[in-house]
Amino acid sequence: MPFPIARLPLTFLVLALALTLGASCTKRTPALASAHPGEGGAGAEGDGAAQARTQQLQEGPDVRAIGGEGASGSDIPGGAFTGEGGPLADIHFELDSAALSDGARSTLEKHALWLQGQRGARVTIEGHCDERGTTEYNLALGEQRARAARDYLVSLGVGQDRLRVVSFGKERPLATGGDESSYAQNRRAHFAVGR
Amino acid sequence: MAKNHAPSRRSSSRRSDLAAALVAVASIALGAATAAPRPQAQEPQLPADRIVIGGMQAPKFAVPDCVPKRPDEASQAACRTITQVLRADLRFENLSFVQESLISAIPPLNPQAPKFEDWKGIGANILVVTQAEVANGELVTEVRVHFVDNGQSMLQRRYSGKPDNPRTFAHAASDDIMTLTQYKGVAKTRITFVSDRDSSKERPSKELYIVDYDGFNPRRVTVNGSLNILPTWRPDGAAIAYVSYRQGSPQIFLAKIFEGQSVANLSGEKGDGQAFSPAFSPDGKSLAFASNRAGSTDIFVAGADGSSPRRLTTTQAKDTAPCFSPTGQEIAFTSDRTGTPQLWLMDADGLNVRRLSVGSGNYNDGCAWNPAKQYSEVAYTARLEAGGFDIAIVDLATRQVRQITEGRGSCEYPSWAPNGRHLVFSCQRNKRWEITIADRDGRSLQTLATGPGNNVQPDWGP
Repeated sequence: MPFPIARLPLTFLVLALALTLGASCTKRTPALASAHPGEGGAGAEGDGAAQARTQQLQEGPDVRAIGGEGASGSDIPGGAFTGEGGPLADIHFELDSAALSDGARSTLEKHALWLQGQRGARVTIEGHCDERGTTEYNLALGEQRARAARDYLVSLGVGQDRLRVVSFGKERPLATGGDESSYAQNRRAHFAVGR
Repeated sequence: MAKNHAPSRRSSSRRSDLAAALVAVASIALGAATAAPRPQAQEPQLPADRIVIGGMQAPKFAVPDCVPKRPDEASQAACRTITQVLRADLRFENLSFVQESLISAIPPLNPQAPKFEDWKGIGANILVVTQAEVANGELVTEVRVHFVDNGQSMLQRRYSGKPDNPRTFAHAASDDIMTLTQYKGVAKTRITFVSDRDSSKERPSKELYIVDYDGFNPRRVTVNGSLNILPTWRPDGAAIAYVSYRQGSPQIFLAKIFEGQSVANLSGEKGDGQAFSPAFSPDGKSLAFASNRAGSTDIFVAGADGSSPRRLTTTQAKDTAPCFSPTGQEIAFTSDRTGTPQLWLMDADGLNVRRLSVGSGNYNDGCAWNPAKQYSEVAYTARLEAGGFDIAIVDLATRQVRQITEGRGSCEYPSWAPNGRHLVFSCQRNKRWEITIADRDGRSLQTLATGPGNNVQPDWGP
């Protein structure tokens, strides 16, 4: 294995990456900082941009994977808020229900206000379920949840053409614990904002 | 040659569990109508799953070691694999065997001229003689099946092909031997399923895989890095319909597995429309599915290519998870129109809707109609009490329910073997989902070692 030779370009890559990440992390800071303050335990993420930057530099696989692919990182247009966090908080549901609670309605009212100030923003409303129940039934239930959120936003004056609905059923849980608090976190509508 | 994962076959005798479950189910089903439960009253009498060959009930097989026709290592190795796999296949089919220790107690088999007296002496009724050799880059295997009583030959088959996977030779021989019985063998069948084994934190994905029915020979089908779920075989075995998020919303795709091509959005959903739960009719000409195109989730049926869709259910409730009867004339499905998800039946044109699951449990979903017409029954996923899910089977004539799994964590998504003798489903044990197989009496549960990750939503193909 020509290890010492391979090492030299890697060092350059690490340096180059440090600059790239530094730039993009600065840009992303608002999104990271707003990541679910109430949900502890995320650990590696959400502890601020500085630590994230340090960790990414220390972890070999991240650096090698990017270098190995010969690709440089750049933001995907409109993809800034599609992950967890983002400007619009999740709303939650009772077991086997797509009914909007008072709390969910008041959250959606805030979302409607925000959307009125962000004319270019489009939102994909994802309906999610906890792991109990079958795959198919949860796909239908997640769709009802996302649709309930959409219908309420539309009733508040948000244009329907700005809102997309997709059900993930129980296929993409946020919390993976098999306890009631994880289930409650997973019974949600999530709002992925794009432009 | 890809490395195979050995299937771990954990069998257990579950008669007492089953009996207890049946009592529990019966008392739920009867509910308040019966004041005093009668414990040993009505255990449903299942037809005995006995193999019959030439009028002989459960004949005893002797499957001595395959005899290599050449002394080279390749021929010997092929022979060892064929012996091992053929025995496992025939055991899976519930054939009876003479003890292997008895075989080693008699003189070695002469494959050209077996001494039938010896085999009769250890109680064998049927002798399976296999020979194999690897020559000129080809594996040739010969199988001869004899009635021990009179030495009569019942079957003589020669198999030849590439030597890289001798297991397929044994599977072919097992299915041929099963043609002597009243059942069609399943050794050549395959199971498709969903796994997150190639998922990453950065890019969480679920992909489709295919394994042989015994869990060996896993192959990946989809490679798009998206969510791909709910696979179902087209009855010809050349394609798998599934649900993919590749274009954002869940839509039905068709994977042509031998061509490595896929057809996107088979049901032609527009905009936000989502479609899932694909199910082919037994003749492969129709595709039933669930779609929200009419507002709420309803059952539709279209041509196998998605053409001319017709809406079959029209309620505002969630109507999902259709499955066809063996004749294709009826469809079972799940609906929560009465408040909780329950199984319903309708004619394939959407008329004559009636409830199937009555009283037993507050959550019944995911039907799988036994494809063998002699068993008039539907398997499904049931929550018989709050908590985990189990696999259950309802007899359509008597409406009696028998529970297939109990205390194995949560189990769901049953699918029948093509001959209706076994079921495959997925169970979560120790936080991991694994593909599990049982016979239709709920016995001989075994976990298939299909590979790493969470392995779910199996569909048993031809």
